[in-house]
Amino acid sequence: MIFALLGWGMLVGLDLVSVPQMMIARPLVAGPIAGAMLGDVATGLQLGVLFELFQYDVLPVGAVRYPEYGPATVAAVAAAHLTGGLIGIGVGAGVGLVVGMLGGISLHLLRILNARAVARAADQLEAGAVDALVRVHAASIARDAVRAALVTGVGLGFAWLVGPVLSITLLARELRPETIRLPGAAVAGAALATGSAGVLRLVGKGPLVRWLATGVAAGAIVAWLR
Amino acid sequence: MAPVKPPLAIAFLRLFTVQGSWNYERMLGLGVGVAEEPLLRGLRQGANGDAYHGAVARGARFFNAHPYLCGMVVGAAAKCEYEGVPPEQVARLRTALCGPLGSLGDRLVWGGWLPLTSAAALIAVALGVGWWAIAGFLLLYNVGHVALRWWALRAGWTHGAGVVTALRHPALQRALALVVPAMALVSGFAIPLVLRALVAGWSGRDVGVLGGVALLGFLSPRWWPGAVSGLRLGLIAVAAALAAGAIWP
Repeated sequence: MIFALLGWGMLVGLDLVSVPQMMIARPLVAGPIAGAMLGDVATGLQLGVLFELFQYDVLPVGAVRYPEYGPATVAAVAAAHLTGGLIGIGVGAGVGLVVGMLGGISLHLLRILNARAVARAADQLEAGAVDALVRVHAASIARDAVRAALVTGVGLGFAWLVGPVLSITLLARELRPETIRLPGAAVAGAALATGSAGVLRLVGKGPLVRWLATGVAAGAIVAWLR
Repeated sequence: MAPVKPPLAIAFLRLFTVQGSWNYERMLGLGVGVAEEPLLRGLRQGANGDAYHGAVARGARFFNAHPYLCGMVVGAAAKCEYEGVPPEQVARLRTALCGPLGSLGDRLVWGGWLPLTSAAALIAVALGVGWWAIAGFLLLYNVGHVALRWWALRAGWTHGAGVVTALRHPALQRALALVVPAMALVSGFAIPLVLRALVAGWSGRDVGVLGGVALLGFLSPRWWPGAVSGLRLGLIAVAAALAAGAIWP
């Protein structure tokens, strides 16, 4: 199981930037598939939706630095599944956010390593040596695969460590159900705020606001009717 | 020298790895060079392959734009090499394309197509569609993604140095005019439905916590501009909730 999750996290991490950018890195995809691997699709979907909302904070323009939520969602689902119960979503989201931050840092380091590799091969590249060009490019992709696997591995280790420890601690303290649900409710609020703010940033202050308002009104009516 | 029939398919497949060697020095340059190389193989017949190696070297220099539209510079620069356009002019073309391709891709894909399809998938999940929502998202998004990559490469190879005319294609303008408002509409539609799906079966207290954190999170960028990212907000919310649970079990 852990190797399947590790492999999935690696593919998801590769997809974000290197290859092929077909959006399996989106939490909404990464989460349910990780959940299916664990036999817990519902948790995968729930965390996939939460992290998809956090993803709206990211606009990958130019050389901007951002968290990496794909492998983070895989780790989050594993942590939630292992913790179980009402607190699972809150703990999973907490683990995922920390892993997302680590993933962002690792992407920055990867880019520095890639730049060094390019600098080392600069003479060959300027001579138009195709083998050097392909070698540096392929090595960079391999480096990203290792990075993604490492981030996922650290995330899964974190999940395996935090989940059971929290379960035991909480069972020992005999917390009330409403206290146990608190982290899940809080992180859902943070995700909703992030997603809404991200949409507003994309829409701006121009004529698109009317389209957004129409959508919100129609969505509210449908949500109320259901 | 007449252009040979280009191995466009190989260049196209290599374009899916265009960001594989992304770095702070040449940014997408190496990936663009790798994708362009198959198109340049017709230049190898020259004395010592000088034209070929020179073109490969130029192809791998600094470049930055939206990854899905890099095919345009790949095709256009390769066509220029066959047409004997001076190297300085090829370099100027590459530099000139960075801004427009970046801006167009950011508006059309990162600011339009991706949030539009993602929001549609969120709506479908909120309505209980489940796996079909995920499959539909991947299929729909990638139809647009792959078509855009292919169009960019073909347009670059067809127009060469005059590739800027392709950027004024009416279909592109129509796509922008449709996709961006649709993104706003569908994203707006998604927000209440996702909220409803999140709080289904929750107690009033839980909904109050969600609402309070959401309101604080939404307003915090106005109080501390640039200081509160979604990641920080999420971490603070989880940490505060765990701490509150520890203090008041």
